[in-house]
Amino acid sequence: MTALLRTPATAVWVVLITATAVSWTLGTQHGTHDHKLASVIILLIAFIKVRLVGMYFMELREAPNVLRGLFEAYCLIVCTLLLGVFLFG
Amino acid sequence: MQSTTTQPSPLLAATKTKRIPGEEGVWIFILGDISVFAVFFTYYLVQRGKHVELFDLAQATLNKNFGAVNTVFLLISSLFVVLAVRAMRAAERIAAQRLIVGAFFCGVAFIIVKTFEYSERIAAKQIPTTNGFYLLYFVLTGLHLFHLIIGLGVLTTLFFLARRTGLSKHQWAFFEGGACFWHMVDLLWLVLFPLIFLVR
Amino acid sequence: MAKKMELDSGLAKAAIWSGIALIVAMIVAQGFMMHFIPPPSPALSAKELAQRFIERRNEIRLGCLIQCIFWSFWATWCMAITIFIRKMERGWPILTYSSIALQGGGYVFFILIPMTWGVIAFRPESLDPAVMQIMNDWVWFDFLFTWPPFAVWMAVIGLAIIKDHNVPTLFPRWVAYLNFWCAILIFPAGLIVFFHDGLFAYNGIGAFWIPFAIFFGWMIAMSVLTLQAVDRQKTRPSENQPEMASV
Repeated sequence: MTALLRTPATAVWVVLITATAVSWTLGTQHGTHDHKLASVIILLIAFIKVRLVGMYFMELREAPNVLRGLFEAYCLIVCTLLLGVFLFG
Repeated sequence: MQSTTTQPSPLLAATKTKRIPGEEGVWIFILGDISVFAVFFTYYLVQRGKHVELFDLAQATLNKNFGAVNTVFLLISSLFVVLAVRAMRAAERIAAQRLIVGAFFCGVAFIIVKTFEYSERIAAKQIPTTNGFYLLYFVLTGLHLFHLIIGLGVLTTLFFLARRTGLSKHQWAFFEGGACFWHMVDLLWLVLFPLIFLVR
Repeated sequence: MAKKMELDSGLAKAAIWSGIALIVAMIVAQGFMMHFIPPPSPALSAKELAQRFIERRNEIRLGCLIQCIFWSFWATWCMAITIFIRKMERGWPILTYSSIALQGGGYVFFILIPMTWGVIAFRPESLDPAVMQIMNDWVWFDFLFTWPPFAVWMAVIGLAIIKDHNVPTLFPRWVAYLNFWCAILIFPAGLIVFFHDGLFAYNGIGAFWIPFAIFFGWMIAMSVLTLQAVDRQKTRPSENQPEMASV
């Protein structure tokens, strides 16, 4: 099992779990302060996580450029779009 | 008759050539699916923009802890699937089978938690026809749940593939493709949870 | 012993093109003539809906006649694909028979749409608007709520392609995934029963436009792909002709 774990994907997984904890902490803060900044960070973290899953779990890092490019474009476009609608929509 | 390989597929670390995980068709499916979800994500935020107070108030009634726990379950299951693919490539079929079963049970755990989550909402009379927020909440999480259930079917197929002594080229493609489908289920929740439960 | 059979490519292509004709007719008749693409909102009052039938009754009547003709081609179009399913299967033809059964019923669902509108437009001034509303709702449910057999057939096509024993396969493998994906994507049409307006009403983006675009986009894509498959059959060397299922 330890041999199986010796791969970058395992380290990425730890990052993902940590990022989830960070988002959850940011998202469950109480208080009357403006939550916009926290939400922006939460959304950014979400798409960083999405990209990590694609690159390391779905193995797109080793995929042909077209496929990897499409996925990277997806992450960039959708993240920007959602942030845009959230902040200005 | 298709030839069956008796050797495991080469460990990825040994090759530097670029390859499509699974096969092209899988990616039509995956990219298409995440794109449709992107439309729904955008629609959710547009609707929220029109009814900010309503959405924020309704969001506060959701159980964020359940959502976070479910995120962790899916992340664990994805790790298991990553390890299972590695195990198959190293011809460790028993390990692969166990890991797939582990991933499957994480998926089941997700469903159980989701059932509690939905029950809480329904008991509080927060249902799809209550208002726009709950409509989108139930539709988006429901659509995701539907994909997860299909994913459980896919994992079952992967389990039976892992019991075979040799996989053909197409079976390998299906194994990797199926793994990617499961990661997609994880990926979608990684956006859904923060978007619907946390962003305000 | 496998029987060797010729594919009449002229007939097969005509059957595929009949499906294209079906789509064109729908856009002209249901869209331009009847103004029923997109559907009238389910939130309209019975009286408002009745007005639409009274005002456009001639266009609706003629459009319905046209549609009854062209929806028939759903059957011929489907069978062009089904003969390929028969060649992709080996042994007992469960997928072929499922296809025939699923799509033999399919054109009935379609043809009931113009038939019902024709009945509504027959005496729109004297028909009770509440009755007209129920009948119109019924038509849209017939169009959208009946998505499952079509999704099942898409999955059958996908399955047939995945299991194709021919070398090379009659369709590229990715077409199977396209079919699986379309099968899942038309499912929101089933949500129309819960909503009178919004995203998942029968005129909404989620329950009408997305399934509608996916379904007819799929028809166009499958038409192109099947025409290509027919062409490839012509160039196959004769000893490589796919074995036929023995029925």
